[in-house]
Amino acid sequence: MAGTVEVRFYALLRRRLERSALAVDGDGLAVLDLLSRAEQQAGRPFLDEILDRGRGLLNGTMILVNGENIRLKQGLATRVRAGDVVDLFSPAGGG
Amino acid sequence: MNGWMGRIVTIDLGSGRQEELPVGDEMRRRYLGGRGLGVRLYSDLCPQPLDPLAPENAILFMTGPLTGTVMTSGRFQVVSRSPLTGTICDSSSGGSFGAALKSAGLDGLVVRGRAERPVYLAVSPAGVEVRDAAGIWGLNTQPAQKALQERAGAKASVACIGPAGENLVPFAAILNDRDRAAGRGGMGAVMGAKNLKAVVAAGDRATAIADPEGYREMGLRLDRAVDKNPVTGKSLQVLGTSVLVNIVNAHGMFPTENFRRGVFNDAEGISGEKIAESLLLRQSACYKCPIGCGRTTRTRNKSGEGPEYETVWAFGAHLGVSDLAAIAEANYACNELGLDTITMGSTIGCAMELCESGAWDAGLRWGDAGRLAGWVEDTAHLRGVGVDLALGSKRLAAKFGKPELAMQVKGMEIPAYDPRGAQGMALAYATSSRGGCHMRAYMIMPEVLGHPVFLDRFSTAGKPEIVALFQDIAAVVDSLVLCRFLQFAVGISTLSEMLRTVTGLDFGDEELLRAGRRVNTLERLVNIRAGFTRADDTLPPRFLNEEFQTGSSRHRVVRLEEMLDRYYAVRGWDPLGKPTAATLAELGL
Ligand code: SF4
Repeated sequence: MAGTVEVRFYALLRRRLERSALAVDGDGLAVLDLLSRAEQQAGRPFLDEILDRGRGLLNGTMILVNGENIRLKQGLATRVRAGDVVDLFSPAGGG
Repeated sequence: MNGWMGRIVTIDLGSGRQEELPVGDEMRRRYLGGRGLGVRLYSDLCPQPLDPLAPENAILFMTGPLTGTVMTSGRFQVVSRSPLTGTICDSSSGGSFGAALKSAGLDGLVVRGRAERPVYLAVSPAGVEVRDAAGIWGLNTQPAQKALQERAGAKASVACIGPAGENLVPFAAILNDRDRAAGRGGMGAVMGAKNLKAVVAAGDRATAIADPEGYREMGLRLDRAVDKNPVTGKSLQVLGTSVLVNIVNAHGMFPTENFRRGVFNDAEGISGEKIAESLLLRQSACYKCPIGCGRTTRTRNKSGEGPEYETVWAFGAHLGVSDLAAIAEANYACNELGLDTITMGSTIGCAMELCESGAWDAGLRWGDAGRLAGWVEDTAHLRGVGVDLALGSKRLAAKFGKPELAMQVKGMEIPAYDPRGAQGMALAYATSSRGGCHMRAYMIMPEVLGHPVFLDRFSTAGKPEIVALFQDIAAVVDSLVLCRFLQFAVGISTLSEMLRTVTGLDFGDEELLRAGRRVNTLERLVNIRAGFTRADDTLPPRFLNEEFQTGSSRHRVVRLEEMLDRYYAVRGWDPLGKPTAATLAELGL
């Protein structure tokens, strides 16, 4: 959808939400606000899988904006634009 | 004795002679067990480099001081010189064979010599017996295990080779407890060269615990830590290791078509999420493991174990294949025949690029899912194109005049993380003592997954120090012997506490880390004796010179040289990569 941010869900988030993506009207929002809006739109809570109680990133959460980890940008304050792709991964591991 | 059994037996299959190998308290304390003690003993028993397949070469099956105690402690390590790489090698496997070997009263079993006819070893508290393997030689790993299990009883655990090991394929694996594998480095071929089909272990000896009260308390804390941690308590259980497919792909470092691209367009179709909703029958777990990262799966025709992340990649993106059932069946075939899935898949990818380039006319083509299991069969039985695939990628690419197309370090194929996407992982591949492997220092943990802290994957700053530290911690875990996935939930101080409560010895964190450093340095010495130099601590030119044009790791190359000097300095090695006299003295080597 033009003018929206694509939020994609992976790992446990996808199982929780039973969907793999949402188009969120989020141009200009900080990632934290984008996430709240995505949660409302999804109609089911999921932020507890990726944020801690103080609404900071859980250790191991990976949020990529256009492939770049927001921890290397401004964290949850990173702003997104229409057309951006945001990948959300709950903490995961393997080897 | 607490922790250890205090008994290591060596047996010569040529003469049938067996004896106890004396190991003093000091040596146990310095090398712990598993990988560390195994490498120490190997280096003492075989001080000069031997042909890995020669009768005189030793192969060691090692348990550790924690084997048979806390969670994930059913594992074992196999140590020898690798026929694939010529380096020192240790290969780890889960299941319960390690616990069974220890319950037979052994910290380790050393096998040398070559039996005249195929044999297997039956190990129990009564001793080690050589038995005739007629009727079992030639069997795939599952029927072989089943037959031996029937003879030995339900409590026994069997570690065996399949046709690939019998045929001396240099990347043959050892399989135990049905589908657990000591996969990497060709330890199965070392067994095959000895005419040794299997080791069967059973017993009733319990590991003595020095501080039962402290041990119980620590066990409860460990349970809580593993349960609370989102990776060990949730993700690995629900999605297995293949959860990494989408993660690594999103980072633009999911090696595609022999590492020519970092993004696989069909990643979704072979992801852990997809496996969970298609092939998965149930979770499976090793001895005393609450995590249970294993996947028992089925396709329309078959069922078995896997695929794990590395295998999904090796037979999937690496070959341009997105047919999950075909990948799973290639995995089942590797398990049945006793082959390392990473080297097998990587070598097929190398062959596909050789064929595409015109250097080889064997007709292997990207995306040819239908022929995967057939190529695996041909490799194990040394027929058709399998004769050449059985060389492994380094020798195969050299044979057809394009050595640069083998994605290997020191002859071992690198796994499913393109090093251009993580500078620390790149350094770890280049300096790993057994060649291109991710298990010597899993830098993906901090560089991608953000454990225990998040590091910038494209930066080289501080990476030499962290790679050395991760290598040392890995050596400790492999020597204790525990599962590396515990590292997501606990740190070094939990490990030293476990060791204290079990052995009663006052191990501290510092001492443990020094033991890890000692093991890595000793492995370096063994490799130097075998002729390895700084020139071998490198990566295929593709990673040093060619950039991806797409994906989030685009326009990057590995900056190895700027990390290597510093790494040697951190290690206390000279600029040529040789441990200095001061380092050797400090570590008591
Ligand atoms: S986490 Fe997986 S590999 Fe490790 S011991 Fe448990 S089941 Fe085995």
